Amino acid sequence: MSVTLNHYLLASGLLFAIGFSGVLLRRNILTIFMCLELMLNAANLSLVAFSRFNLGPDGLPNYNAQILVFFIITVAAAEVAVGLAIIVALYRARQTTHVEDINSLKF
Amino acid sequence: MPAPLAPLTLEIVVLLLGIVLLGFESFSKGGDRGWMARWSVAILSVVFAWSFFTTGDTGVDPSHAFYCADPLALFFKRIALLTTIIVMVISLEFRPVLEKFIPGIQPGSGTGEFFALPVFTCAGLMFMASAVDFLLIFVALELVTISFYVLVAYMRRQNASLEAGVKYLILGALSTGFLVYGITWIFGLTGETNLARITQVLPSLLAEGGRLHGSESALLFALMLLLIALGFKVAAAPLQFWVPDVYQGAPTPVTAFLSVGSKAAGFIVLARVLQTVVFLPSIAPKVLSVLGLLAVLTLLYGNLAALPQDNLKRMLAYSSIGHAGYLLVAFASIDPAAGNLYRTQTAIGFYLFGYLLMTLLSFLVMTVVSRHSRGDDIVHFNGLSKRSPFLAFGMLIAMLSLAGIPFTAGFYGKLLVFSTAIARQNFLLVSVGIITVAAGFYFYLKVVSAMYWKEPTEDQPVTASGLTKFTVAALCTAIFYFGIFPQSLLSMLPSDKAAPVAVSPAPHK
Amino acid sequence: MQDYLPILLQVVVAVVFAVSTLVISVVLGKAARRNAMKDSAYECGMLPMGEAQPRFSVKFYLVAMLFILFDIEVVFMYPWAVVYRDFLVEHGSSIFWSMLGFVAVLTVGYVYAVFKGALDWSK
Repeated sequence: MSVTLNHYLLASGLLFAIGFSGVLLRRNILTIFMCLELMLNAANLSLVAFSRFNLGPDGLPNYNAQILVFFIITVAAAEVAVGLAIIVALYRARQTTHVEDINSLKF
Repeated sequence: MPAPLAPLTLEIVVLLLGIVLLGFESFSKGGDRGWMARWSVAILSVVFAWSFFTTGDTGVDPSHAFYCADPLALFFKRIALLTTIIVMVISLEFRPVLEKFIPGIQPGSGTGEFFALPVFTCAGLMFMASAVDFLLIFVALELVTISFYVLVAYMRRQNASLEAGVKYLILGALSTGFLVYGITWIFGLTGETNLARITQVLPSLLAEGGRLHGSESALLFALMLLLIALGFKVAAAPLQFWVPDVYQGAPTPVTAFLSVGSKAAGFIVLARVLQTVVFLPSIAPKVLSVLGLLAVLTLLYGNLAALPQDNLKRMLAYSSIGHAGYLLVAFASIDPAAGNLYRTQTAIGFYLFGYLLMTLLSFLVMTVVSRHSRGDDIVHFNGLSKRSPFLAFGMLIAMLSLAGIPFTAGFYGKLLVFSTAIARQNFLLVSVGIITVAAGFYFYLKVVSAMYWKEPTEDQPVTASGLTKFTVAALCTAIFYFGIFPQSLLSMLPSDKAAPVAVSPAPHK
Repeated sequence: MQDYLPILLQVVVAVVFAVSTLVISVVLGKAARRNAMKDSAYECGMLPMGEAQPRFSVKFYLVAMLFILFDIEVVFMYPWAVVYRDFLVEHGSSIFWSMLGFVAVLTVGYVYAVFKGALDWSK
């Protein structure tokens, strides 16, 4: 059985869904944050798959998508750096990283 | 007259300013950083004036461009610059509070980034105004969002600020995830990331025999992901739940920046993305009905949840959700047969400019008052007219304009928005809009009554710096000027009479 | 087009799969949950000293984070290097200066990190 575009899209859909349900269900901010990164990587995977399987008239993949993936990776790294810094600051102030304990602002 | 400048120079100057500020910050130790804000105000004002001498033509074929500079983009760049300038003035007033919540050996140490980051945010907003490729949209949006993560959580000795930062971080990153996945799907369906080329290829792909014929649902799925992501950014219900907490917890200047800058940039990206699909007969009705639903929900939630609030900052957060609702009315009333979005673009451009004036005015007055009263509940405004008649008058103007009293910019903006809805015979939206305006009168005038008819709890006068007083006066004047002479602003916005610059490079006035 | 319908179905399957996995883990995971009785020492066993997962210093965290940031920026140099020669012939030296500008911006970030003491982990 050859691996087709649909297989990649299925894997990426799974990753996205796992990430999203993790964000909704998990209670530890660090885990939530990892799930968010999983969602970004799901998009990366399907971008590369789309680029590889939709060859242009010259038989080359569409490189726009791969460049977009580079940008997503770098932006995600910046987001993680800032995000972890904020989470560490919160941990220092509150000694917790659980969402239930973040309740000083009323809803 | 000097030769018109390339529009990209504006962003480059703003970015350089940010880099230079960061450089100064890294070499200097402690001390007062107010000069950073004052220099930023001066230089950004120059850039603002400069923006009137730039040409709209980038000389690049729109189907290969990342960046465009049509009148709408230039207008939103001016909104971004003006917002940043006023936010800097607010942060100058906010400095004493900021220093209290920043751990540092000397007073003022560690506050430099608070004045440098808004400059980067401003550059990001300006890029968003011009972005016509999903790549630039994504990068510019993230530049704005990541700077805001830091700014919201900036006061790290205050739990509220940190918690607001974490909430904004999680939900902002979630919306980024949706945005990226939506972009991925759009790319997978069309093979393009450039908005102009997507607009070109979509009709043939969807037509009989095209690759996407009969699979509109895949395109709608991608659009839904994008709408969710942008709905987070512009705070549209039901994606607004982060707004009240984040706005209340964030430092006041950042709240002001978030409520105006982030929202304006979100709406222009929404306009650009919608432009690709809203003229497709098989897609438009569904997208427009979703937008209409969002508009109704946002209007009702924002204006009704604001009624019982007694914290002014939180009330303004709900009010900002409500205003996002009015702006969405203009989007839901797009005419798919018109072939362009000029009517909607003009309405949101004017509305957002008026919203900028009145919201930043109220945040500026609030910062001054809460510094003296040590709190930003409405009670702290009791009897402000006796403690500082001038500031009370400024707040009065801001509240009247937010409520939409005639002869203010807020009124004319609402008029434009409702006229788009009436032109499309969308009377449900108009009636919901009018009901929520009536609700708005109640909570905006609650602040006015506290200032003018309640007795002050303290009697020492509230003082403000000369720059603040000047800004308050300028904003009050502008609210009335653009409310009475809206034409001066409308001439800068795209209209049916003027062709967009991207198509014909001929300049128009 | 019909080709895309399976994809949508697969998305639905993916969602169902992820949700059911999580639900199952919650249902089956009950037995593994800690409680006071489980945490107590067995009969006359020794009382545990300290935590099972001792904390370690996060002083290197900033350095690691900065390393990742600067490391990942190099990704932009690969496509740049691939097209460098062709671009140089066709469009001139602007490709060189634009990369220099990119590196200059990164350098400002690096200088900022150094002078802010972010790399000073002995402090």
